[in-house]
Amino acid sequence: MTGRRYWRSLDELSDTPEFKEWLHREFPQGASEFNDPVSRRHFVKIMSASFALAGLGLMASGCRRPEEELVPFSKAPEDGYNYGTPEYFATAMPTRTGAIPLVVKSYDGRPIKIEGNALYPGGNGSTDRYAQASILNLYDPDRAQRFTSGGKTVSRDEALKALDDLSKKFAANQGDGLAFLAESSTSPSRARLQKIIRQKFPKSQWFIYDAIDSGIHQRAATQAFGQPVRPIFHFDRASVILSLDCDFIGSEDGAHNHIAGFVKGRKPESNRMNRLYAVESLFTLTGLNADHRLRVAASLVGQVAAAIAARILNRPFTVPAGVDPKWISICASDLVANHKRTLVVAGQRQPMEVHLLAYAINSALGAIGGAVSLIPAPEMESKTYGQLAKYLDAGAVDTLVVLGGNPVYSVPGQMGWAKLQRKAKTIVRLGYYEDETFEISDWQFPAVHYLESWGDAVTSDGTLVPIQPLIQPLFGGLTELELLARVAGETQTNPYDIVRTTFASSAEAWKQFLFNGFLAAPAARPVNAVASAPEVKSASAPSARSLEVIFCRDAKMDDGRYANNGWMQELPDPITKMVWDNAVLISRKTAREFGLQNGEVVEITLNGRKVRGPIWVQPGMAEYSLGLALGYGRERAGRIGTGVGFNACKIFTGKHIETGATIRKTGETHVLACTQNHWSMEGRPAVRESNLDEFRKNPELAREMHEKEPPVVAPLYPNPLDQAEKKGLQQWGLVVDLTACVGCATCVVACQSENNIPIVGKDQVLRSREMHWMRIDRYYTANPARETEADSLLKDSEQQYERWIDDVQAVNQPMLCQMCEAAPCENVCPVNATMHDQEGLNVMVYNRCIGTRYCSNNCPYKVRRFNYLDFNKRPLADLKGPFYPTPLLHLTDGKWDLASWWKNPNTSSMRPEDEWDLLKMSKNPEVTVRQRGVMEKCTYCIQRIQRAEIAQKVKAGPSGNVRLKEAEGTIPKTACQQACPAQAIAFGDISDPDSTVSKWKGSSRNYAVLGDLLTKPRTTYLARIRNPNPAMPDYHEPYSTGEYEKHGGEFHAVEKGNS
Amino acid sequence: MAESVTQLEALVPPRELRRGPQTPYQRGLGGLTDHLTAMAEGKTPLWWWILFIPAAFCAAVVLPSMLAYLISTGVGVWGNNVPVAWGWDIINFVWWVGVAHAGTLISAMLFLTRQHWRTAIGRAAEAMTVFSVMCAGLYPAVHVGRVWFAWWLFPIPLTTGMWPQFRSPLMWDVFAVNTYLVVSSLFWYMGLIPDLALLRDRAKTRVRKFTYGLFALGWTGSARQWHNYEKAYLVLSGLATLLVFTVSSIVGMDFATSQLAGWHETIFPFYFVAGAVFCGFGMVLVLLIPLRKWCHLEDIITPRHIDRVCKMTLMMGCIMGYIYVMEYFIAWYSGSPYDAWVFGHRLFGHYYWFGGWIMIGVNALLPQLFWIKKVRQNLKLIFVIAVLINIGMWFERFTIIVGSLYQDFLPSSWHPFYPTWVDACTFLGTLGVFFTMYLLFVRFLPMIAVSEVKAITPQADPHHPLGGAKGGQP
Repeated sequence: MTGRRYWRSLDELSDTPEFKEWLHREFPQGASEFNDPVSRRHFVKIMSASFALAGLGLMASGCRRPEEELVPFSKAPEDGYNYGTPEYFATAMPTRTGAIPLVVKSYDGRPIKIEGNALYPGGNGSTDRYAQASILNLYDPDRAQRFTSGGKTVSRDEALKALDDLSKKFAANQGDGLAFLAESSTSPSRARLQKIIRQKFPKSQWFIYDAIDSGIHQRAATQAFGQPVRPIFHFDRASVILSLDCDFIGSEDGAHNHIAGFVKGRKPESNRMNRLYAVESLFTLTGLNADHRLRVAASLVGQVAAAIAARILNRPFTVPAGVDPKWISICASDLVANHKRTLVVAGQRQPMEVHLLAYAINSALGAIGGAVSLIPAPEMESKTYGQLAKYLDAGAVDTLVVLGGNPVYSVPGQMGWAKLQRKAKTIVRLGYYEDETFEISDWQFPAVHYLESWGDAVTSDGTLVPIQPLIQPLFGGLTELELLARVAGETQTNPYDIVRTTFASSAEAWKQFLFNGFLAAPAARPVNAVASAPEVKSASAPSARSLEVIFCRDAKMDDGRYANNGWMQELPDPITKMVWDNAVLISRKTAREFGLQNGEVVEITLNGRKVRGPIWVQPGMAEYSLGLALGYGRERAGRIGTGVGFNACKIFTGKHIETGATIRKTGETHVLACTQNHWSMEGRPAVRESNLDEFRKNPELAREMHEKEPPVVAPLYPNPLDQAEKKGLQQWGLVVDLTACVGCATCVVACQSENNIPIVGKDQVLRSREMHWMRIDRYYTANPARETEADSLLKDSEQQYERWIDDVQAVNQPMLCQMCEAAPCENVCPVNATMHDQEGLNVMVYNRCIGTRYCSNNCPYKVRRFNYLDFNKRPLADLKGPFYPTPLLHLTDGKWDLASWWKNPNTSSMRPEDEWDLLKMSKNPEVTVRQRGVMEKCTYCIQRIQRAEIAQKVKAGPSGNVRLKEAEGTIPKTACQQACPAQAIAFGDISDPDSTVSKWKGSSRNYAVLGDLLTKPRTTYLARIRNPNPAMPDYHEPYSTGEYEKHGGEFHAVEKGNS
Repeated sequence: MAESVTQLEALVPPRELRRGPQTPYQRGLGGLTDHLTAMAEGKTPLWWWILFIPAAFCAAVVLPSMLAYLISTGVGVWGNNVPVAWGWDIINFVWWVGVAHAGTLISAMLFLTRQHWRTAIGRAAEAMTVFSVMCAGLYPAVHVGRVWFAWWLFPIPLTTGMWPQFRSPLMWDVFAVNTYLVVSSLFWYMGLIPDLALLRDRAKTRVRKFTYGLFALGWTGSARQWHNYEKAYLVLSGLATLLVFTVSSIVGMDFATSQLAGWHETIFPFYFVAGAVFCGFGMVLVLLIPLRKWCHLEDIITPRHIDRVCKMTLMMGCIMGYIYVMEYFIAWYSGSPYDAWVFGHRLFGHYYWFGGWIMIGVNALLPQLFWIKKVRQNLKLIFVIAVLINIGMWFERFTIIVGSLYQDFLPSSWHPFYPTWVDACTFLGTLGVFFTMYLLFVRFLPMIAVSEVKAITPQADPHHPLGGAKGGQP
């Protein structure tokens, strides 16, 4: 963002050395320190973004604002740049098979918060977990910050010269011996450069590798329909969805789009409510949200699919052992009955034949053109590491250019990639970290973050989106495009110019493109084609001697790229709620058979290769199936990720489902940390559920599941809110629709990012001190007939042996401050640190809090979090008990903490300087960073409310129209609400009868959690409605309802004033 | 003559109803003074050093270093977590407050009810009260997250206009504990004045004379002074008796005013008073049984005194039993599933079931042994039981605090509590403070109220054969 360029004097205009000297000495604070290596401080270096004024043109002395013209998003201040006013820029985060259009908030040159681009027609302004967390990678102190050659730091110029030499060398021999290993990307600019390289160096080779293969959908569609097409799944158009081990809600690429579509077609009040059948082995988010879930080994999914296909095509079919044929035939009938409004999806980890079957079924049911549309797509690069290995082995590779990725870590272990890669004479690598691959590279170029670089990408529905930087690269570095251009020997190496050239349209169009963040272009014409059902090889069921192993994409680490991201490490896995680890997921019965229990380390042998990992008994897993998440066990990730979990890539062969594994006890144990220890809801009506047909008969059912309330007597104290309320312009409230919420946990990361929530490390999670203001409770509910009274008397560590966990239902519940009108936390605080404001918010005054913690004890929802150990100021290493270093004796960067504190109590910390400085940059300046010893909690993003109220007051002026109204679009969104792909959260003014939140609160599904305590929460929930098929053999009322009754719960007629 | 003797004998109650003398001490009052001040004036015995050195180490090294560690590092050095935001800090606070109760109760209430046997043990028990209130008061002060702002708990008029919140029971607690500390210290100190003057008058060195003289506040023992003294003592004992009830009631309300199942009970104020007195009697026994032997006070603190304390303990134990039964009854009668869960899990629960059994077994059932006279006379056994009562009462607080917090309303947030070494060392430190102060008290101040004991000796009774100015031996 460069404003109009003024010069301060003619001297500046003439750019004389005297003027430069004056500028250097006089004006920019700290400028002289830059050239003085002794006093140069890291912080000044990276924070220079904050004090280099726009338009000053001091790029050389460290301005971090990009030079090129950026077009700020619509909310930019009108009259130039205002300090303290955030700016919004449209950009995008590239993913494997698409991109997520984003709008990023920037404060004083620092990107602070990532949101989805609400203007983008294919989205609803939401994002996914990865996008929310990716901003932390920008401020990662362990990022590659230097150019190296042979492990030694070299200057940027030297490194760039090496690229030029490379380019010249291969120009001479047509690129013989030049190989590229890249990650998949949708960037048109990269494709263009790739084409240039191919022209210039015809003998060069190009390989693609991703440990997580999301390209299979396109390859399968291409194969099935005989032409290069990419499938787009429209979950919103389907009435019946069959997932063949496809975790489209959780681990598939573009899950947030799928969630949006899925939830759109799932409205219990409307006539349309879709039904989801899931066939899977691992218990995934898709299985959790399914109306019918068939628990079957992943290697048998193909046969189940074949059976369903045969049933649909009226052919004879056989079902795998243990599968109820009725399940198959009724599911198939349901699909047939809803033909044209059906969708069958196969999971990316399933082999090609299952995908082909899925397309065949879709084709037979007439879903092509309906819920599945096919758009023409460029053919995918098919050569991968296997072919590269052959070249390397033959010694045919002179120079290997590794673009991003971390192949030494993530290429299947059997390849022995570290040794193979070394066979190339020169390895040039563009990497974000100095990681495992860094060790086997000759040249390492630091890569830039997508928020620091120019680029472009195509979303999964074929829309072109720009990637614009919000900040100059913090540590120098190159984009993939620049590196490629330099290797190609192009004269145009500036990534901005490269992207601009690719865009090849008018300046006006370019401006509009950057402003909108996407290219509004007519959608690609869908292709119509027919696929036929292939033969499915019969697979044998896994057994105790030949276990099945499923390698899955982790909900947090992805393929290991988020290993050094503290938010991701500490985000509870959506299903297991595990943090800071992966585990060998196993079913109860299989674990019993091997005599295993949680935390016991086993050795898994697959194809002669071994890996060790701790056992975790997962309810709802198929028998003889092991679930291994990729992305852990990094040996060189950084201060957060190194040594967390175990590396499943060691036994990975590239196939995501394999049978033939054996396990052996090692006698070791490993402690696993979960944020939720208790699995059962114990019959308490926290999450209330009903089946659709039941709900239609009795819409009040969920509200009637209400524990007995104490009689209301005259209160000892009048509730201060009763009076204060009258002065409030708005009355804030929030509703979470549990039918919509799929439990993806994007909101949790969004909240962490917005509200400066620190991470605490595994040891502190084990002590239950994690700081998340918002959590997602996951309860397993069981067939009440299978539960015994004794089950509720067992320790949490013994839940894994209980019989009821084999076939469970699970429910999610986002839990955040309930903003009780009669808040139990308030009247117990001795210093008035938590109280109500007139708008119904239970506000927390951090400055006043002395930390008696009584409010937390008295909070029935336990949503208050206490900063026990200065989590902001301590590095992770100092958060491990039993002895936490005391600042009285601790040295940071060789300086005594106590002395630093004495000098300046506000800036001292126990973190090394590089970490501390970046941490400070990453914080949202609108939210207080809380000290230790202070209680904190969800505020409904009060900073956003305040900003909106102030803006409205400014706008209203003398008109006095200061009330925020949804109809006028002035109601702010909370961070969780904005990030939610399912749009499951409504926030707004409950005193406005036309607001969404008021309407939701008027729903018959609306209820208050623990409303029987008369806390009168402002946060309420809409009951979860499931839509099982009454004809199915596994039809039953939601288990939670039965549990409620079994524990003595009664149904009370709804009284007025409840919830 | 013979007739009159018969008449006199007829007035003497039958043997089984006859009360013995308050003290079997048969020598003169001067000897009694020597005897009672021997510890304060004589050579330091070996046992004193053996106890004092470790206690002083805990008080002077362990506790300050733990507090420095806590305050510099954060509450996280303890085991507290989020469902269980109060752990050993508040358990020990309530436990120490409980210990503090018996002293005032014995001194003040038994004084008001004219129970003369209290004179032999009153001073020692009061000292126990003062020192344990100090230990108790330490916990709420340092357990807060930002100790440096703990003064915000006091209503200090500031320019900020900030004021404490009087609806909070923690606020009431601040007043209750502080008032109790002030009044019980005053009460104890006032009782000490005549004896301090005594020590001053008997001092053989200038330092002792000066020091005791300073604190004796010019006491001469004139009738006017005695008159004022008795009046003031009466008033203070009246106040102190009230405070015995208020302070523990308010500590009980710290819990009872909450929402939490297991805390939310109207019986709590009464429950906590009873528990506190019970625990305090236990501590009195723990302290006095060895001290009477080591300080050679068997003829002052007699088995009859111990027997009476045992009977009081038995009564309190029965009350505890009643309360435990009532708690379960109310939990069942309320029909609240949360109450049912908490109380069921106290005995058969996931983690802390032992706490419930210890609490009921030790606090309600074990004192029933005191129905047996032989037990009340077996000092070693009494000592063991008294120690167990203190442990049992600690577990009662553990069960109430941790047992109710760790499994509250939403099962998703349930989490057990594990203490850390810092929790243990901090508690050890406060025990060190208590015993250090107590040992210093035993060594330098008369642990028996000399003037009061004299008043109940037979010699002090003019009608007694040994009494009056005429008789007795020096």
